[in-house]
Amino acid sequence: MKLEDLRDKQKERAASDEELRQALEREFQVIGRRLRRTDGLSKSTGRTVYTDDIVLPGMLHGKILRSPHPHAHIKSIDASRALALDGVHAVITGSDMPVPYGILPWTRDEHALCVDKVRYVGDGVAAVAAVDEETANRALELIEVEYEAVRHYLDPKEALADPETPIHEPHKPGENGNVSKRVHLEFGDVDRLMEGSEVVVESEYYFEGTTHTAIEPHCAIGYYDASGKLTVWSATQVPHYLHRELARVLDLDVARVRVIQPAVGGAFGGKSEPFDLEFCVAKLSMATGRPVKILYTREEVFYAHRGRHPMLMRYRTGADRSGRIKAVDASTVMDGGAYSSFGLVTTYYSGQLVTMPYAMESYRFDSTRVYTNKPCCGPKRGHGSVQPRFAIEVQLDRLAEALGVDPIELRRINSLGSDTRSVNEFRVTSNGFLECLEAVEAASDWTNKYRRLPYGRGVGVAGSCYISGTNYPIYPNEMPQSAVQLQVDRSGRVTVFCGASEIGQGSDSALAYIVAEELGVPLDYIRVLSADTDLTPVDLGAYSSRETFMCGNACIAAARQIKEQVRQAVGEAWGCRSKQVALAGGWAFDVRDTGQRLPISEAFNLAEARFGTLGAVGCYNTPKDIHGDYRGGTIGSSPAYSFTAHVVELAVDPETGFVEVEKIWIAHDCGRALNPILVEGQMEGSAYMGFAEAILEEHIFKESGLHNAPSLLDYKIPTSLDTPEMESLIVESLDPEGPYGAKEAGEGPLHPSIPAIANAIYDAVGVRPDRLPFSPPRVWTAIQARRVREEAGELVLWKREPRETALPVTGD
Amino acid sequence: MIEVIELTVNGDRHRIGVPSHYTLLETLRYVLGYTGSKQGCDKGDCGSCTVLVDGVPTLSCILPVQEAVGHEVTTVEGLAGPDGPHALQDAFDICGAAQCGFCTPGVLIAAASLLRQTESPSRQEIKTALSGNLCRCTGYTKIYEAVELAARAAREGRKPSELVQR
Amino acid sequence: MLRLHPYRYHRPRELAGALELLKVHAGNVMPIAGGTDLMPNMKHRLFTPGHLVSLKGVEGLYGIEERDGEIWIGACESLTSVASAPLVKRYYPSLAFAASTIANPMIRNQGTIGGNLCLDTRCTYYNQTHFWRQALGFCLKRDGDVCHVVKGGTRCVAAHSADTPPVLITLGASADLASTEGTRTIGVEEFFTADGVWNTARKPHEVVTRVRLPKPPAGLRTSYQKLRERKSVDFPILSVALAVAMADTDTVASISLVVSGLGAKPRTIGQLDDIAAGRQLDAGIIEAVAEQAYRQCHPLANIIVDSDWRRAMVRVYVRRAFRDIQSKSEAAA
Repeated sequence: MKLEDLRDKQKERAASDEELRQALEREFQVIGRRLRRTDGLSKSTGRTVYTDDIVLPGMLHGKILRSPHPHAHIKSIDASRALALDGVHAVITGSDMPVPYGILPWTRDEHALCVDKVRYVGDGVAAVAAVDEETANRALELIEVEYEAVRHYLDPKEALADPETPIHEPHKPGENGNVSKRVHLEFGDVDRLMEGSEVVVESEYYFEGTTHTAIEPHCAIGYYDASGKLTVWSATQVPHYLHRELARVLDLDVARVRVIQPAVGGAFGGKSEPFDLEFCVAKLSMATGRPVKILYTREEVFYAHRGRHPMLMRYRTGADRSGRIKAVDASTVMDGGAYSSFGLVTTYYSGQLVTMPYAMESYRFDSTRVYTNKPCCGPKRGHGSVQPRFAIEVQLDRLAEALGVDPIELRRINSLGSDTRSVNEFRVTSNGFLECLEAVEAASDWTNKYRRLPYGRGVGVAGSCYISGTNYPIYPNEMPQSAVQLQVDRSGRVTVFCGASEIGQGSDSALAYIVAEELGVPLDYIRVLSADTDLTPVDLGAYSSRETFMCGNACIAAARQIKEQVRQAVGEAWGCRSKQVALAGGWAFDVRDTGQRLPISEAFNLAEARFGTLGAVGCYNTPKDIHGDYRGGTIGSSPAYSFTAHVVELAVDPETGFVEVEKIWIAHDCGRALNPILVEGQMEGSAYMGFAEAILEEHIFKESGLHNAPSLLDYKIPTSLDTPEMESLIVESLDPEGPYGAKEAGEGPLHPSIPAIANAIYDAVGVRPDRLPFSPPRVWTAIQARRVREEAGELVLWKREPRETALPVTGD
Repeated sequence: MIEVIELTVNGDRHRIGVPSHYTLLETLRYVLGYTGSKQGCDKGDCGSCTVLVDGVPTLSCILPVQEAVGHEVTTVEGLAGPDGPHALQDAFDICGAAQCGFCTPGVLIAAASLLRQTESPSRQEIKTALSGNLCRCTGYTKIYEAVELAARAAREGRKPSELVQR
Repeated sequence: MLRLHPYRYHRPRELAGALELLKVHAGNVMPIAGGTDLMPNMKHRLFTPGHLVSLKGVEGLYGIEERDGEIWIGACESLTSVASAPLVKRYYPSLAFAASTIANPMIRNQGTIGGNLCLDTRCTYYNQTHFWRQALGFCLKRDGDVCHVVKGGTRCVAAHSADTPPVLITLGASADLASTEGTRTIGVEEFFTADGVWNTARKPHEVVTRVRLPKPPAGLRTSYQKLRERKSVDFPILSVALAVAMADTDTVASISLVVSGLGAKPRTIGQLDDIAAGRQLDAGIIEAVAEQAYRQCHPLANIIVDSDWRRAMVRVYVRRAFRDIQSKSEAAA
């Protein structure tokens, strides 16, 4: 076949004359369109390969022995009977991997397997590799561990009060080893302004723990090959950090370690740090010379956890008569579970991330994270700020009630605005919060519903703000946060190499859209190869809603270099200025005469002839001068903030306490929607997850320290029949720093779900369930209590006339 | 104990030896290599392992493999034909109904069964048909839209992609 | 993945063969039909029989038909079939409805009416993995000798959690049981005992072959109400089955009310005819019946739900059952 024949095939697929003329009218050809994902068909046809789908020749199967005690010293471990079992190849224990690890370099307090102490029921103690999973299971039963149980703590208050049996050794002698982190920050004179406030509302809120519950259980495969190179395939969302920690803990040269992230079946923060199975598959492979796979059972996923911290929060909020916030005073105790995880950051986030979207004259928070003998808490979608957001937004509803102001209006009055600084000194640029409020107000018909629906029905509003990535990486360094390498083939195919972690949110697709936009190639000419530390430049991973923002910027930077080369080469060939050459729809064409054009592959060939092999790297690093000027002022600082508002409409059944959330209107300022379908998917998925935490989910424990419900039957995530209707309203504020103006959409839209539901419950039945979840027994009990007070004349009849009081009291 | 059985999966008859205590899911994934069907919960709580057995949506993780002998098993890999993906599979892609994609095979199987029974399912019928398939990413909305698009395409004898404006 | 223990799987075609296998392997064998209860329980090592005898291939265990003035439902009929069978919907709408609320669509496709009758009792300290139960120190239902629900208790209080039996009791249904020793018929009400460890009269080597329902008297009004956290997947944490036989359009002849999901045995609420028989079905009667049910039901903490609330819901759900039959008869009129 001649080269010309190849081009003919491409011409058939390229844009028509008419389409090219239309293209000239539009700012973007790809960005902003409702396109398919790059991985959609592969997923819907069942072809996508997840970690447990991989089988390597000679692969062994591993299992981890877990502690039945919540808090105990390990006196001895005898694995001789397990090793003697036919089919068992290796047993490892904590002493084989004595180097402690932790996602944050300042708080490395975990071991791949426990060395001398177990700290929760489910803590890993030993691991086995065997010919199959069943043999490995039998081997676990043969490992004899002698424990000496010590007092365990499930309640952070008790752990704080009693430092006699510390879960970890104190940082300094005399300190309480059960305190994981304490942060106290004050901005402005809170006491004076609170004193001077005309209205002060105060309440205590409790956020019960919840967990991510990605449908894919964690899975990892390790292979230590004959040359001494270690490869780990893992369902992780932070391949780069895993890469480093594997080398550190296993004492290997990091250049001889490779981490590959296959497709991940959901993560939500639950796969954002190293886990015991990743170290164990590596070590077991080193011990056996064979590939080793470990797949968690669903029960083990609950023990791995790293989910939302339970938080007990006391909030005082003061305002003047017009509703302007003068002072916010927050005091929070966080239940951290057995280890640190991201806890240092979570402790800061619990205070630092909730100052926006509101202007407040002064603000103070005091947060203490406490160790308990339970699975370790960490970052779940909306890390650290979903809990205090619940408190802040219900406080505002109380304030609106006290002042007789509409709660949407109260939020407008206090809106921070754009191009400013928050009370804790974070730089805020684009801000579409007012547009978000307007959108949900109009779409929900708010003014005709608020306080006007009959008893049992209500609407509620809440707002929020979230980061588009963190300004600083997890380990201090000056290098870029994200990098992309592009490789261009003579066929027109472009490959994007990037360390970014696709976990279902669509980061691979975002990279493809950007390259298609910049280079004018059809979307299916683009291959995205992501998250393989041997092949891809570093991106820090899928956490803190950073991927689209950061790898998107890196990708633009790389693609534009190639774009310039192509335009220059074509311009030279046509004898025109390179600015006159556009790349779109599979063509390089003259913007003054669309008839003058070349198939894009031919344009690439001209550029390759002119400049040599086409390729480029691009990177993104965050601006470093935008944070607060105080210790901790970098934590919570982000290059851009997203904003959200929800209105919820629901019905409360006063006889049972069931809350039926019927509809959530979600308005989210994502800067620019690179693909509205993906943005809506993030908004709906977020709102759903918040709704689930509000109504159903509880990550709780029995007195013995055993998890109450480590299964998908007993841990209640919503089914299709439970989930409300959702309407996504995209607001675009065009951020100056974001790629094409884009900001995050994956975590922010979760935040208002819970307080909006709480506020709607109040509108419906006049009770404030300040404790999560709003389960039927809690709501019912609150309704009963209000009825008693109504009957005693202490409270007005909520949305009912006196003659209507004959609603039966259903309890004793 | 290893048992020799004959299993028909997506029209292909396989004669295989399996441990007699294997479930259909273990056999599909670990003996035959049909990894499209997923394991999410271990015990019939999440629906990711749903396959069709003689056209009936079935949780393969709690079905003894012997119960599939003599029946036609269809997995997500069997929904697509030589002409391309099933309309539902294409509609899922078009509508963004698969995010992480892990629950998707089970959801598709349940939805395919619904569309075989009902030409124009209502939103409520779709919700009910999918009420055993837990999705953690989408909040279900895009899934409903995809099922509705595929149903409409089937009714009109067209491809889902012909029905959407871009 | 949770793996199963090794077992041999038998798939006889004839009932006699199945019963013979149950006898031959007595002590180390269990019958299995849909397996939707047994398979998860085996993954939790609650049962570890060396042999399973599948009933799904036994032809005589199918069919929903009218016979001798009764409706017979073969034990292996799926819950989907029971929920949708025209005969069931026509004569026993509350049974069809109860079956339609079980678990999720796939489990209804796989699970059987016979299996639903034999569903193992459930408890938060029992329906857990072997690791979990071992860490707890086991319980008297399986592998241990203490009760964690009632401290110091010596009787298992795991809850009967099946949806169809309460309804079957209100409809006067009975079950046919077969073994190598012969067959017997037992009322569904008598089928259950108050022992959470083994709460049925079925002996280990017996199988339920058929459910038999008498034709309902004219004007029988029925309802099933189910309390659960989610609208799908979940077991009932309280269930109420009601059948009201009317003497005429307004006058109650008798009331059958069964409350379950609380203790080991579906509880038939007693002394209702004293309250209601021969009277008009009005708000006063309904309240009195609800009160009677409330007095007789005392849920324990065998699930992770506030017991006081669960008890209060007995009253509410009984009321709702009456409201349901009233609205249906209004709709019919």
